[in-house]
Amino acid sequence: MIEFDRVSFSYGNRFVLNDLSFAVHEDERVAILGGSGDGKTTILKLIIGLLRPDSGKVLIDGEDITEKTEDELRDIRIKFSMVFQDGALFDSLSVKENVAFPLREYTGMSEEEIDQKVRELLRRVGLEEAIGHMPEELSGGMHRRVAIMRSMAAFQPKMFLYDEATTGLDPVSADVICKLILDISEQGGGFIIVTHKIFDAFRLANRFMFLKGGRIIFDGDRETLLGSTIPEIRIFLGELSINCNG
Amino acid sequence: MQTLEKKIIEFVSDLQDFYLLSFHGLMGVVRRPFYFKDMIEQMDYAGSGSFFIILLISLFIGMALSLQLSAELSRLGMKMYTGKIVGISIIREIGPVLTAMVFAGRVGSGIASELGSMVLGHQVDTFRVFGVDPMKKLVTPRILSALIMLPVLTIIGDCVSLFGAYYIAVFVSHQSGTFFWSSIRDIMIYENVLAGSIKPFIFGYLIACISCYMGLSTKGGAIGLRRTTTRAVVASFIAIIVADFILTRVLLYVLGFSV
Repeated sequence: MIEFDRVSFSYGNRFVLNDLSFAVHEDERVAILGGSGDGKTTILKLIIGLLRPDSGKVLIDGEDITEKTEDELRDIRIKFSMVFQDGALFDSLSVKENVAFPLREYTGMSEEEIDQKVRELLRRVGLEEAIGHMPEELSGGMHRRVAIMRSMAAFQPKMFLYDEATTGLDPVSADVICKLILDISEQGGGFIIVTHKIFDAFRLANRFMFLKGGRIIFDGDRETLLGSTIPEIRIFLGELSINCNG
Repeated sequence: MQTLEKKIIEFVSDLQDFYLLSFHGLMGVVRRPFYFKDMIEQMDYAGSGSFFIILLISLFIGMALSLQLSAELSRLGMKMYTGKIVGISIIREIGPVLTAMVFAGRVGSGIASELGSMVLGHQVDTFRVFGVDPMKKLVTPRILSALIMLPVLTIIGDCVSLFGAYYIAVFVSHQSGTFFWSSIRDIMIYENVLAGSIKPFIFGYLIACISCYMGLSTKGGAIGLRRTTTRAVVASFIAIIVADFILTRVLLYVLGFSV
């Protein structure tokens, strides 16, 4: 479904992705690992056309999206559900209005139906009580839960894209988010999660990619990753032993 | 040499982006969907939020101008012209420029920092993910609100300035109130009113476009946001002053004033 064909990308003089090629099927659970600034989030933004590559092609369902206009990309973007780091809730809107936003944009639902749907979604993540709150009144974990529900409010995406979904959260909140991601995935639809928290990546994914210097230096399953001798990966795996032992 | 070339390319590219934003932002007025609620919110923020500041500043500027002119003209025995000179200055020049500057300082900086913070918080990207054009959702309502509210505020500011000038002329400089208002009536001719009415529309459009552009091109966290806000205000001030000179020159020529 998603295919990167020799994609390169840079922010000004800083090269982020270098001749990157890979393919991900829509029912896969993929974790993209790597250090800060290694281009993990950039990959997600390229998938939904928020960024355009300097060279190479990004193909979605066999269709090259690199030259598409914003209007044409609309059809591509509804195939995905993107949850940005920190949730990216609209801070001038209440929790209800945030979740209702895509419903108002995409559906012809009445106010009563919207209210019902929003309550149903928030109930699913235990946040119905917070329906009238403003984003600034929510904790980090609540932010992400609202953002995840908002991202799937109006349509059922084929695939979910999570940008650092558990970063900055306490272990309990991170656990809630991981369970939610797995729960959603079990109902259909794979995901790509970008993270540098290997513990959460191991809980969620069954395929792992490791980015370094704009290239994928590892692409494989859990067992192969655990047996990897690549120094950068060993450093990441070190966090896993700290989590398990500590 | 390579750096200079790169800087020129960057400048031209920025200029192109600015023109595109200004054009598409304005064209959003005639293209669906329309975000009326956002426009009303922006009008409220720009209009009612700036109202008392404009009142206060306009009142004192009108009074100061009247004081200065009364003092200078009375030495020449021409105190009776205070109303006429104050009126022309306020309606054609000081009113529109001063209101625009206050508007840029308060509303322009607010637009730039709000949009900048939305960019940094991925809220603008989220709009795009949901298939919402940020140009129509964020830029068009702000341009429209500036196009409507700045002229309204300018008219109110002009009136308050004239009242301030009247107060000084009558109660401090002991001039005839009837003569002051008849002088103001005399200068309320089509040419003066037109010259003073066109400027706020142009200034409002410039302030909104500059502030939106600066806000949407924010990069680099809190420091980037600070830079964005400062640049939006400084660029708006420069644009107002330069546009004012050009407009004054053009309007004087078009309206048949000899220089």
